[in-house]
Amino acid sequence: MKILIVEDDLEAAEAMARGLGETGHEVVKAADGEEGLTAARAGGFDVLIVDRMMPKMDGIALVETLRREGDGTPVLFLSALGEVGDRVTGLQAGGDDYLVKPYAFAELIARVSALSRRRETGSVATVLKVGDLEMDLIGRTVHRQGKEIDLQPREFQLLEFMMRHAGQSVTRTMLLEKVWEYHFDPQTNVIDVHISRLRSKIDKGFDRPMLQTVRGAGYRLDA
Amino acid sequence: MRLPRIFRTTPFRLTLLFLALFASAALAFLAYIYVATAGEATRRTDQEIVREMRSLTGAYDRAGVDAVNQSLIERAASERPFLYLLLGTDGKRISGSIETSPVDKFDGSPTWTSFAITDQNARGQTFKRPARGLQERLKGGEVLFVGADVGEDEAYVLKVVRALWGAGGLVVVLGLSGGVLVSRNVSRSMAGLAGVLEAVNNGDLGARAPVRGTRDEFDELAQGLNEMLDRLERSMAGHKHAGDAIAHDLRSPLTRLRARLEAAYIDVEAGKGDPTKALVQALEDTDGVLKTFNAVLSIARLQAAGTAPDPTVFDPGELTADISELYEPLCEDKNIDFAAELTKGLQVRANREFLAQALANLLDNAVKYTPAGGAIMLRVRRRSSGEVEFSITDTGPGVPEADRARVIERFVRLENSRNTSGAGLGLSLVAAVAEAHGGRLELDEGPGKVGESGPGLRVALILPRAA
Repeated sequence: MKILIVEDDLEAAEAMARGLGETGHEVVKAADGEEGLTAARAGGFDVLIVDRMMPKMDGIALVETLRREGDGTPVLFLSALGEVGDRVTGLQAGGDDYLVKPYAFAELIARVSALSRRRETGSVATVLKVGDLEMDLIGRTVHRQGKEIDLQPREFQLLEFMMRHAGQSVTRTMLLEKVWEYHFDPQTNVIDVHISRLRSKIDKGFDRPMLQTVRGAGYRLDA
Repeated sequence: MRLPRIFRTTPFRLTLLFLALFASAALAFLAYIYVATAGEATRRTDQEIVREMRSLTGAYDRAGVDAVNQSLIERAASERPFLYLLLGTDGKRISGSIETSPVDKFDGSPTWTSFAITDQNARGQTFKRPARGLQERLKGGEVLFVGADVGEDEAYVLKVVRALWGAGGLVVVLGLSGGVLVSRNVSRSMAGLAGVLEAVNNGDLGARAPVRGTRDEFDELAQGLNEMLDRLERSMAGHKHAGDAIAHDLRSPLTRLRARLEAAYIDVEAGKGDPTKALVQALEDTDGVLKTFNAVLSIARLQAAGTAPDPTVFDPGELTADISELYEPLCEDKNIDFAAELTKGLQVRANREFLAQALANLLDNAVKYTPAGGAIMLRVRRRSSGEVEFSITDTGPGVPEADRARVIERFVRLENSRNTSGAGLGLSLVAAVAEAHGGRLELDEGPGKVGESGPGLRVALILPRAA
């Protein structure tokens, strides 16, 4: 995957580039907004990682310009501004996700992967399939090996998110943000309990567990 | 030269403006009175002169110049108040009560003139008296002048004029003193406000304007100013306090982190100890510091803003149902009986995210302190006062009654965070959220002793009714 990092903090950019490179991505760096815009216009990127506050042209203006020009490349905003209002501003400007600094590297990788996947599945699927697990989005039913699994509405949403990002690590914060739509860190392990409930429903009684715990990152649904 | 303060005040300037308008109106009114009185007197005298002239020219037309002469002689004897002069065709005086005509240039047409006659009073002093007269050429070429002493009229006019000046002066004096009185009154009220502003400018945020209880616009202004200063003072205190708290809350975990890294470095250097383990530990510590930092920052922003950002009006029942759904499995996992009692159809005006976080923090706390086999109850209801109450009751150890007020105070003042990690800050955030929404936090006893533990704690977050 080809990723553009627009970040004026060169050390942070270098660390990101190295980490993303090690996970098999091709990375291009830009040190300010204008440089970033030029690079993004050249095109060919799968994901843009854009810092919000930069010299010459800030991240918001950069993404707004790209969107106006019809460039729909997924954008992950990085920002030290973490209030809900700031997040909303970022998403309204055309960002697809918003990560507050400082962040765990696993979180960054998970979100970048999630964004790239989002682009691939642009068509509206009515049935999601991961291995022998099948989700009917219209009938709101889930089957594994033909056996119906009974899920609560929230469990259904949780599994849907995991299935849409099958094979990728998703973090607890991502789940809380995307499934519950809260943007704070709970002090207790609420998410883990929900996952373990879901796990007991989709994995119990089957020979192979699908819902994996990824140490230091979160969870992953494997086919 | 600078004018005394009182003359520079806005009310005084307004008074001057009104005075000028009023004086113009008064002037027009006085002019009308002048025309109607003094003007009238002159007109009447002129009419009488004309009548006398007609009477004499009538005699002339009937019986010639001798009849006029005769009339003049008779009239001089009868002491009529008219002045006469009859000149012959050659311009020489024939008869009359004055010697020469006061008309300088006479072209033959009837001519009016104003002049002065010399008179003598009882004591023999001479003085001039104003007079008016009309001169006409008679048909035979003789010239007749009829005049009248208008001294009496003039004196009357003079009186009127003097009275008018007096009245005008009175208007100005009354207006000016009224203006001074009004502006002094207003100035005194304004001086109080200006004094407060000056004090605040000089750094005394505690200065407040006096409210006199008259409920006039000055009182309203003073009250508004005081409220603004209250908020400003709270906000400043919040900023300062938040700064102190951040320093306190971050210093100890950072010190710990540094000590651990240092110890790990020494160990690794010496060839003993596992660097990976030390790094994992350091990462965890850093995450802890970040969590603390985020919590303190949220609290600080709330306290500094004084109000919740982006509030919306919504049904708190739905939000609470969501939160319940999030925590219910956790309780079940810990073998805690969780129940929610949510009144539907209520309305609160709040920042959704902050309210959700406050409730989550309260539930986190309840879960942390409630032993297995206990119970947690989340309830949303409307109080009879119209306030909306979110309460979380647990069967944990609770807080002794004597300590409750102090505990809340400590949440509010962030003191907890220094010794305990996480929980204290979480509740401090709840307190900050309550305050930012104009609400409050109440601590109470729980349901009493349940099994091994008790008596439990009931924390209520109370928000004002949505306006």
